[in-house]
Amino acid sequence: MLEGFNFRIIWEYMPLFLEGLRNTFLISILSIFLALIVGVIACGGRLSRWKFLRGISIIYIESIRSTPLLVQIYFFYFGLPTLGIRIPEIQTGILALMLNSGAYIAEIVRAGITSVPNGQIEAGMSSGLNYFQRMRFIILPQAIGVTVPPLLGQAIVLVKDSALLSLISVMELTRCGQVLTSERFMPTEAFFTVAFLYLCIYFCLKYLADWSQKRLIFKETY
Amino acid sequence: MIAYYFQRLIEIFPFFLKGLWMTVIVSCLGLIFGTIFGFIMGVLRSQKIRLFNWPIGIFVSVIRGTPFVVQIFIVFFIFPEWGIQLNAISAAVLALTILGTAFICEIVAGGIKAVPKGQWEASASSGLSIVKQLRLVIIPQALRTILPPLVGQYVLLIKDSSVVSVIGVVELTRVGWLTVVRIPEGLMVFSLVGILYFVISYPLIRLSNGLEKKLSVGQISL
Amino acid sequence: MIKFKDVNKWFGSLHVLQNINVHVKPGEVVVICGPSGSGKSTLIRCINRLEKFQDGELHVDGMPLHNYSINLTKLRAEIGFVFQQFHLYPHMTALENVTLAPIHVRKIKKKEAKEIGMEKLVRVGLGDKASSYPDQLSGGQQQRVAIARGLAMSPKILLFDEPTSALDPEMIGEVLDVMIKLVDEGMTMCVVTHEMGFARQVAHRVIFMDEGEIIETEKPDQFFDNPQTERAALFISKILTH
Repeated sequence: MLEGFNFRIIWEYMPLFLEGLRNTFLISILSIFLALIVGVIACGGRLSRWKFLRGISIIYIESIRSTPLLVQIYFFYFGLPTLGIRIPEIQTGILALMLNSGAYIAEIVRAGITSVPNGQIEAGMSSGLNYFQRMRFIILPQAIGVTVPPLLGQAIVLVKDSALLSLISVMELTRCGQVLTSERFMPTEAFFTVAFLYLCIYFCLKYLADWSQKRLIFKETY
Repeated sequence: MIAYYFQRLIEIFPFFLKGLWMTVIVSCLGLIFGTIFGFIMGVLRSQKIRLFNWPIGIFVSVIRGTPFVVQIFIVFFIFPEWGIQLNAISAAVLALTILGTAFICEIVAGGIKAVPKGQWEASASSGLSIVKQLRLVIIPQALRTILPPLVGQYVLLIKDSSVVSVIGVVELTRVGWLTVVRIPEGLMVFSLVGILYFVISYPLIRLSNGLEKKLSVGQISL
Repeated sequence: MIKFKDVNKWFGSLHVLQNINVHVKPGEVVVICGPSGSGKSTLIRCINRLEKFQDGELHVDGMPLHNYSINLTKLRAEIGFVFQQFHLYPHMTALENVTLAPIHVRKIKKKEAKEIGMEKLVRVGLGDKASSYPDQLSGGQQQRVAIARGLAMSPKILLFDEPTSALDPEMIGEVLDVMIKLVDEGMTMCVVTHEMGFARQVAHRVIFMDEGEIIETEKPDQFFDNPQTERAALFISKILTH
């Protein structure tokens, strides 16, 4: 199956792959960080008492979750210039990834906060802790533990999603595969290398996610 | 100007419906095949038979750990080099089937493992064969855990089907891409594409949430 | 100390508390019993305002609870509450569970709070478990930590909501022993429980509730040996044969 697999060409293109890998890293890290901010804000809006804020947050979250990321990327890529906004592809891509992951993170954070049992909140109230003290000492420490594993799961999704930026010619890992394919027509070498590098990232993040699952989740025990 | 483009967009709206139809066909085929193979693999995986467990585990990790767009490129560019000739549509269906199989396999295996051990022991004690234990006792109970994420997975598959536009399948996203060249109103064109995706995805998301609520109450309490 | 006057509460159309009149004096120990769904938990949850009520007056330690503008933090700081399911904070050690409120509500210095916390833990017989997390403790030990947590604010009143119902039988004794010790120290207590032995031994009064109403209020011996109503008699016979 792999006879004639040309390792020389991979070696020759290694600098390109490393650059792509670095860009994938940078894009993912920046996007997940921004998405976390967007997600927490959207979750705040979602749980807000103010109907208007809640409405906007729900529309944002639901419309992101029911449309494909690729359509969202094209929406900004083709749409922003018609508004007279011209930014580099990579920034358009990060904007799309940030808004996309933000919606999913909002739901993850909400699930984390609502997962803290009611009895915990009542116990806090009974000792006279006020709302912010209950948030800070009881709800958040437990909610963050519950939230970390799915957040790492979202990070895995985001790294894979960033591959779609290749379609608006951002020079990340998948784009490198496309370049090698079009310059030398060696799709096997190109895409197996790309897939292998993604798998390396995946297994690292997966290991972290499994570890956090074991270590960070507290349960009330009877 | 915008009014003019809007007019044009309405004129070519049937083109969008054609694209939507292709999206529905490709993703339906993918999810039907994916469900069949996913169930078979999931049942095998839950049985802890070494012979199956390793290969299935590796398959699932590789598919979950790499971006779908890379998988599409591999199916479309590399399979022909091994003598498997595929047109764009069959390549799309095959790639979606592989993706669906890997994710559904994990959902099914998880659902089966969540059925209490006592149920296996009880049904074995009644003298049922292992196939009948699964069919009559275990899977009906496992369905409660399986159904909500399964429907959620269908939504993901429909959204992922947008990626097959890159190999030239003229589905909804591709239609948007082809249109935006002629009608340079990116926001308008991709809003329309987004709305059409929303129309099929959102009901399924609601269904998944509804199932989760409905099936989680009335759980066997001990 | 606690004074209910014609208190009424509805959950939707369900009348869960009907014309409640109770007066608990300082140092008094009151046991509240009755079938499940009779409103007894709701009654004591009103005392620290975990539940609101719609009608009537309730004074606790001189504070009018029917007046919604009262300072809840101040009220709750004076009342310890022990839950059926313990509700210890799973991410904190036993000692941290006990000292959380003293540090952040009473604003006591950490070092001092630790001393107080240790003293309370010793009092419930768990001085050696200070650094254990809840999931390393048995049910009985967890409930004793929860009692220590309730005591940490040096409350004027301690409320218990079925403190032994979630426990295995062999662990009930250790929790009741701690509670009996508190009674001997003169603590004002309201206890929802089905432990009739406990009620007989230490309660000053037993209140029997059914369907949101107080049916009987008696001295324990009188209540158990000579119930005045058929409903109470039926309930006692069921509990005793249980």
